[in-house]
Amino acid sequence: MDDFERDDFERELKQAFERRPAPPGLKRKVMQQRSRQRTERLRIRRVVWERLAACLVLAGVLGGAYTWHDREERRKGEAAREQVMTALRITNHALNQVKTQLAEHDRDRQE
Amino acid sequence: MAHEWQPDFEQLVDEHQSMVFSLALRMTGDRGLAEEIAQDVFLELDRNMGKIDSPLHALYWLRRVAMSRSADALRRRKVRGMDLWVEFEESHGVRLEQKSSPLGSRLEGLLSTLPEPQRAALVLRYQEDLTPEEIAATLDAPLATVKSHLQRGLKLLRAKAEDSLKEFVRVRNS
Repeated sequence: MDDFERDDFERELKQAFERRPAPPGLKRKVMQQRSRQRTERLRIRRVVWERLAACLVLAGVLGGAYTWHDREERRKGEAAREQVMTALRITNHALNQVKTQLAEHDRDRQE
Repeated sequence: MAHEWQPDFEQLVDEHQSMVFSLALRMTGDRGLAEEIAQDVFLELDRNMGKIDSPLHALYWLRRVAMSRSADALRRRKVRGMDLWVEFEESHGVRLEQKSSPLGSRLEGLLSTLPEPQRAALVLRYQEDLTPEEIAATLDAPLATVKSHLQRGLKLLRAKAEDSLKEFVRVRNS
């Protein structure tokens, strides 16, 4: 094929490949879908933040409960220790009294 | 003082919907699929508006994504084993407009019979008037490859057109 025909063919191509009008309603569908997707993205974002907030609150409550429990246990431990110390003091005092009485008894016997 | 360009989504749709739809249509040969692809392309544009910094960039971006989505759609159809080559005139009951020559009305149909890479190069060349360098940038392909696709595609299309025209003349005269 000569140059003239080659150019002529390409001109045919150019004409045949002109842009086609978009289907009527394409823009409307795009805008509707866009609006739906944006609403959905906002909803998902809100759900994520709500769940994050709920997790933080739960973590706070659990942390607080653990701290209170820990303090309670320490307090109970301290109370029990005090009781033991008191019991030891009483026992010590009683033993000292017995020891004193025994010593007096021994002195009386020797006299 | 130069002012920053603020992209307006609706305006971009108005301006480029014909281009995007036509690219998808010529790549897939399927009007319904081309419309779906065009919608997807614009919705993806909406998600990426922050990255578009000029009208020219928007045009380049849309072309690139339209070609990419069309290629993906063709590959999916191939995987599903669907018949790729729908007669263009019969697709979705839409008839081609009457062109000035009998050849012109057949060229779009013949285009759909070309291998995808050649079809892509020819569509960008003759629909969008892109240079081989611009086609290479749009398709992210080496320039030499694009030139080869253009040359082979044109040669093949010309041969098919000649056969088609001969057949047309034969049928008309019979």
